[in-house]
This record gives sequence, C-alpha cells and structure tokens, in this order.
Amino acid sequence: MIDPLVWLILLPLCWATLAFVLGPGRGAWTAIGGLAAQLWLAFVLADRVGAGGKALHAVGGWGAPLGIDLAADGLSTAMLLLTQCVALPLAIYARSYFKADDPAGTWFWPLTGLLIAGLNALFVSADLFNIYVTLELAGLAAVALVAAGGGAHQVAAALRYLFATLVGSGAYLLGVALIYGAYGTVSIATLLPLVTTDAPRLVWIAGILMVAGLMLKTALFPFHFWLPPAHGGAPAPVSALLSALVVKASFYLILRLWLGPLQALLPVFAWGMALLGAAAIFWGSWRAIRAVKLKRLVAYSTVAQLGYLFLIFPLLTCPGALQAGVMQAFAHGLAKAGMFAAAGVLIKATGQDSVAGLAGAVERLPVTLLAFGLSGVTLMGLPPSSGFLAKWQIIEAALAQGYWIIAVVALAGGLLAAVYLFRVLRQAFLLAPTPQPAAVVPRALEWGAFALAAASVLLGLRGVELMRLVGVT
Amino acid sequence: MMFAFDLLLALALLLSGLRTLTTPRLDRGIVLFIAFGLLLALAWARLSGPDIGLAEAAIGAGLAGALLLDAYGVLQRSKDLHSKGVAFKRLIVIALGTAFTIVLSEALLDPLPAAIDLRVPVAAHLEESGVSHPVTAVLLNYRGYDTLLEIAVLLLALLAILAVVGETRIASPSRAHPVLQALARLATPSIIVMAVYLLWAGAFRPGGAFQAAALLAAAAVLLHLVGLLPGWSTPRLRLRLGLVAGFAVFLTVAAALLRQGALLKYPPEAAGGLILLIESALTLSLALILAGLFLILSRDEDAS
Amino acid sequence: MTGGLLFALAGVVLFALGVAGVVLIDNLLRRILAFNLMGSGAFLVLVGLAQRDGVPDPVPQAMVLTGIVVAVAATALALALARKLHALTGRLELPEDADD
Repeated sequence: MIDPLVWLILLPLCWATLAFVLGPGRGAWTAIGGLAAQLWLAFVLADRVGAGGKALHAVGGWGAPLGIDLAADGLSTAMLLLTQCVALPLAIYARSYFKADDPAGTWFWPLTGLLIAGLNALFVSADLFNIYVTLELAGLAAVALVAAGGGAHQVAAALRYLFATLVGSGAYLLGVALIYGAYGTVSIATLLPLVTTDAPRLVWIAGILMVAGLMLKTALFPFHFWLPPAHGGAPAPVSALLSALVVKASFYLILRLWLGPLQALLPVFAWGMALLGAAAIFWGSWRAIRAVKLKRLVAYSTVAQLGYLFLIFPLLTCPGALQAGVMQAFAHGLAKAGMFAAAGVLIKATGQDSVAGLAGAVERLPVTLLAFGLSGVTLMGLPPSSGFLAKWQIIEAALAQGYWIIAVVALAGGLLAAVYLFRVLRQAFLLAPTPQPAAVVPRALEWGAFALAAASVLLGLRGVELMRLVGVT
Repeated sequence: MMFAFDLLLALALLLSGLRTLTTPRLDRGIVLFIAFGLLLALAWARLSGPDIGLAEAAIGAGLAGALLLDAYGVLQRSKDLHSKGVAFKRLIVIALGTAFTIVLSEALLDPLPAAIDLRVPVAAHLEESGVSHPVTAVLLNYRGYDTLLEIAVLLLALLAILAVVGETRIASPSRAHPVLQALARLATPSIIVMAVYLLWAGAFRPGGAFQAAALLAAAAVLLHLVGLLPGWSTPRLRLRLGLVAGFAVFLTVAAALLRQGALLKYPPEAAGGLILLIESALTLSLALILAGLFLILSRDEDAS
Repeated sequence: MTGGLLFALAGVVLFALGVAGVVLIDNLLRRILAFNLMGSGAFLVLVGLAQRDGVPDPVPQAMVLTGIVVAVAATALALALARKLHALTGRLELPEDADD
C-alpha cells in the first residue's frame, strides 16, 4: 500500500540526488520519469482524499505535538496536483531548451528536483517550523535556478530575490518563535483550538509577522520589487516554474494560516489584503503595458495576476471563495507556465528579448503564437477557460455578499490584461520589415508550451471536479 | 548575580551586532561578527543549550566567519560606491524598526498563557527513542523529518554554489609558512579524534553529527588555508557519492521504516543503532558538504 | 526577569537591527552580515521564550540547530552570488534595476 503523501516528498528527493550523482548536465530522464510517477501519485491522492476525506501521516509514529504531522486536505491536494501537472511538461520542455553546454542547464535537474521536493513537502506539512524548513528549501532552490549560468543582470536579480526571500522567511520564523513561546507547540492541529480572539498581543504580532513575511515571498504589492527582474531575467523554464508554482506556495501558506490556526485573528486584515491585491492588479498591468522586454512583460503580468488571489480574502466566509482562489491559482499556474514557455521559444527563435522584435513571428512559429494566445485567453478570463471560471466565481462570491467593488476590480483587471496581451499578439502579426532567418526551434518546445496553455483553457471544462476536491476538509 | 552577567552578555551582543554593521572598515566588521558569534555561543550556554553553543561556535561563527573572511580577501579590491541611501527611506525604516522593537518587547513582558509543555513527552519517550540526550532525540527521532529536509537544504546550497560559480580553473593553493603547515598537520589528527568523540557522545550528552561534521570541515579548511589541500573543481563521481552518502542513507532508512507504519518510525530496540548509523554517514557527508561550501568558493581566486 | 526573557528581548533588537541592515545597507557583504544577525535574533527569541522556570526545552533547541545550519547554507549561497557579481561587474552592490 503505497502512501502517496509520503512518496510525493521522498521521490523527488531521490531523483534529485540521483541526478546530482549522474553528474553535470545529466539527469533529465531521471527527472521526467520521477515527475511522471509523481503525477500519478498526485491523482491517486486526489482520489483518496475526494472519497475518504483528509489524509494524515504522523512522521515517526509520534503524532503532533511531539512529532511532525503531514496532512492533505482538499486544498493541499489541489496544490500538489497543480505542482506535478505544471512540472512534468516543463521538465520535458526544459530538456530540449537547454543545449548541451549551457551553463544554466548544468545542474538544472538536481536543483529542480529539490525545488519540487520542497514544494510538495510544504503543501502537506502541518507543522509551522517544518514549513519554515520547506520554505527555505524551495526558496533557495529557486534563487539558485535564477542565478545559474547567468550574467550580471541575472546574478543581481537572484541576489535581490535572495535577500527578499530571506527577510520573508526570517519574519515568518520570528512569528513561529513567538507562537511557540506563547503556546508551547508549533503543530497546526494542536494550535487550532488554542488561538482565540483574546490571544495575547504576542500572538497578534506573530500573525502579522508571518503574513507579512509570506506576502514578501508572494511578491504582493508593495513587496513585488524583486519579482520582475528575477522572473524576467531567468531562463524560460525557470521563470515558468517560479511564476507558476513558487509564488503560489507562500500564498497557500497565508491561506492555510487564515483558515487554520490564526482564523480568529487574521480576518481583521481581510480588506487590507484585498486593497493590496487591487493595487497589484493595477500596478502590474500598467507596468506590463509599458514593458519593452517580452519576459519582463510576462513577469509583470504575474504581479498583476497574483493580485486576484488576494481579492478573495474578504469573501472567505462564503465557501465558493476558496474554490475561486484555487481555481485562479491553477489557471494562472498553467497559463503562465505556458506563456513563459512560449516566450522562451520566441526569444530563442528571434534571438532577442523585446516585444518589438516579435514582428513576423506568426509565420515562423504559429504553434507558439497559438500557445501564447491561449494562455492569454485564460489570463484575460475569457470563456471557457479556467481563468473565466475563476473570475466568474470571484465575481459571484463578491456580489453575493454585496461587495460589488471587488467584482469591478476583477473585471477591470481582465480588461487591462487584454491590453498588454494584445500588444504582444499584434506585434507578432505584423509583417517583419526584412525577412529574418528563422532559428530552428525543437518541436518539443513549441508543443510543450501549447500543451500547458491548452490545459489552462480546457481545465475550465472540468473545473467542477477540482472545486469539489478543494471543498474537502 | 548571574543576572548581572547575563545582562552584560546581552548588552555585549547588541553592541557587537550594531558595530558589525556600522563600523566603517569591512574587515573589522567581519571580525566583530565572529566575536558576536562567540558571544552568542556563550549566551547559548547560559540558556542551557550547549548543543547550540557548540554548533554556533563551529558553524555560525567559525565556518561562516571563514567564508566571509575569504570573500573579503577577494572582494576588497572592489570599488565601493558611497552609500546613496535616500535619507527619507532611512528615516522611515529606522522609525518602523524602533516602533516594532518597542511594541514587541512590551508584548513579551506580558504574562504568557498556560502552554503545552513538550518537555514531558520528550522525557517520557526518551527510552524508546534510542538515545539518552533529549536534544539528539528531538533532532533525529521525534523531529527527524526536519533534519532530513535540512540536509537537503545543505546539499542544495552546495549545488547552488556549483551552479553559480560554473567552470573556472583551480587556483594552485598558496603555500604558507612551513611552521603553519606543521601546525596544521599536527592539529588535524586531534581534530579528527575530537570529531569522532563528539559524534559518539551525541547520544548521551551535547554533541552529535552536526558538531562533529563542523569540526572535520574546519580541519579541511585549515589544511586548505596552509596550502596542503587544493580547492575543489566540479566534483568527480567519487566525491559526489561521498557528498550524498549521508543524505542517501538517511533517506533509505526513513523510507525503509515505512514498513513499520510511518516514515522514520524507529523500532525501539533498533533505534539506537539506526540513529548511530545515520549520524555516522551524516558526519562524513556533512563534513564534505560544509568543507565544500568553502573549498568550491575559494577556487576561483585569481592568482594575480 | 528571567535570563531567558532577557536574551529574548536582545533577540528582538537584533532581529530589527538585522532587517534594517538588509534593507538599508548597500554593501553586499554587510547585508549578508545583517541577515545573519536577523537569524540569530529569531533564534534567541525562540529559545529564550521557551525557557520556563529555568529548565531548558529541547524542542526549540533542536529547531535552532536546524536554523543555524540553514542560515549558513543561505550565507554560503549569498556569498557565492556576491563574488560572482563582483567578478562580473567589479562592484559589491546591487545595481539599480534598470527596467527594460
């Protein structure tokens, strides 16, 4: 009887180690094999959780609060599904993306393995300090992936990201320290009944510290300064992994705290979060509209789209809001991965990273442009994509509680997304001033991007199952 | 009486910490940081945490200090632009920081509510845990999963450094004065013996794999600094195997124990032996990793 | 006031000092020093607060041990990046993020 919960963590650790031992530049097939197995495990877990409720595993047999517990409810299982669903196509994409002697690809596989292990471990951990360790594992892996093999800009971006992520986890750790001081445990399940509305000031400060640190790691406005250079400067598969998955991890943690141990304290800040989310949507979209470089544009789009996630906080009393948030995470994860993958192909083919240089791309790379377009459909929130489903749910939940302003912001965000996305597509449909010699791009890259983008749209048709899964507690 | 000592120690910590950041000369700042680390080790001793004190002195002050000094040696030729900090931003941050400190300090002085006391279950299960030192029991048994992930983080750091540094030529180690070399040669066996002792002692008194590994790594760094051990280039297969051996053993044992019903669930009669096995493998690998953190970085010094 | 609480208070100050340092200082090496101060501050709070009636609590001690190792891992990575940046640009500070 294989326990998918535990193997989703052990397996990536195993193949990452194997990939490292195999040596520099090796490990692609190990990774792809491992990720395929993980995808299967994630579906097995989703089946079990959907049928039988939350899955639990007490590591060491001790049980909280002495030991560390792993727990997978609907929300965690959904995030695990998202991670494996995005990582596998990206791995196949990355295999063709990195040429044999590319310094960025030398240690890509073991680093990615450790990143995925960290993410998987994070989504199922039910222990606040254990979460800190997984945060560091994923965060440092992400920084390394951004910096690998890069020039001055990439290294500077990686350093900026590193400092931001370290301050974020530092604040989170201080919060955990205060909570342990107040209650004597860091187990989420044990803390749940202990934290009440008349918790001491210490716990309030701890909550604020933890959420602030996690906001910094999610690049929520105004803490977003590190994201555009990091996601815009990294190699395309790395940007895809980061935008689709890593930033969602810290958002998931805010949700987990909000719905879990700190549910008596945090909802006070719901409208503050929504306000910052709205600011992120407008600021990110504005910068995307004005961006000159293609990957920078896509990175700013991430800043904007993350804002949607924070709009749901005032709505969480209504059950549909959580499902809306997860659907948005999925929609953005798949679409942004596809978009970065497409951008990577475009940049490889045209040899440069500017929007203006895309002229004539539609003739040479129709599949890639289609992928970009499909991703755009999801990001704009057009039916039948999962992005539409997510926005629809947010608007529905907002109107049900009378908060029409949130609905307006969501709609406005979709319009703004259309502006910057059409900018790219229009440029690509222009005739090139002089016919450029097309750099040959491996098929796997184009179709990898297409697969992700198409998945983001098709998910809209099967969204109900996902939402039912999320509802399991 | 001891409170006066604690007060002085706390003040010394704060002062050295502050001076680390504000002293104009960077090399002084780094040395002050090492001093801070040693004072911190004292503080851990005062807080009845000798395990932490050992680790702080060896890893926090020792290895980190060595890394920083080595970096300083290379980077001191940088053109240091004068700080262009906007005065307004500076003011805001300092004001916010001060406010935060005051608010939190006040909150700390409030009486704390009745808490869960984990010392009770730790002591209650200590016999079945396989070791008799509570901290080791927590580290390798009750919360061994944290330790597993932490080793992954260390491995990751090594990988990251390899990925960032890329391929460079190995600088031939500068040979130091023969007396220094002799000293290093004399010191190394003692360090190894001490490390083995710490590893074995960790089961029933402060010590353990991390402290032992830090000592071994320090020996390696020492040998490198006097020119007896070259820096590392991209690790070859044997070295890669050595680097992952500890983690691999830990992972294998953890997974194998799944048959007992849960990850890392040691059967009480074999717990002590398994933990010793894991710690031994970890000591070797961690020593290689910690040494590697230094030796890989130091290889790209330009001989000029 | 117990010794534990005293060191916890010192930890709070160190934490604030560290964060301020990372945010305000330009020199990369000093920022790395600052982030280490921040981490040490958090560790002091963790162990200091958990010390009830002078008897040590092994759980936070193990946590801090883990934290120290993670901190040195991050420091090594930060130093590798700083050295690479210096090798490429000759400067020991983050350049202004020139957008586009």
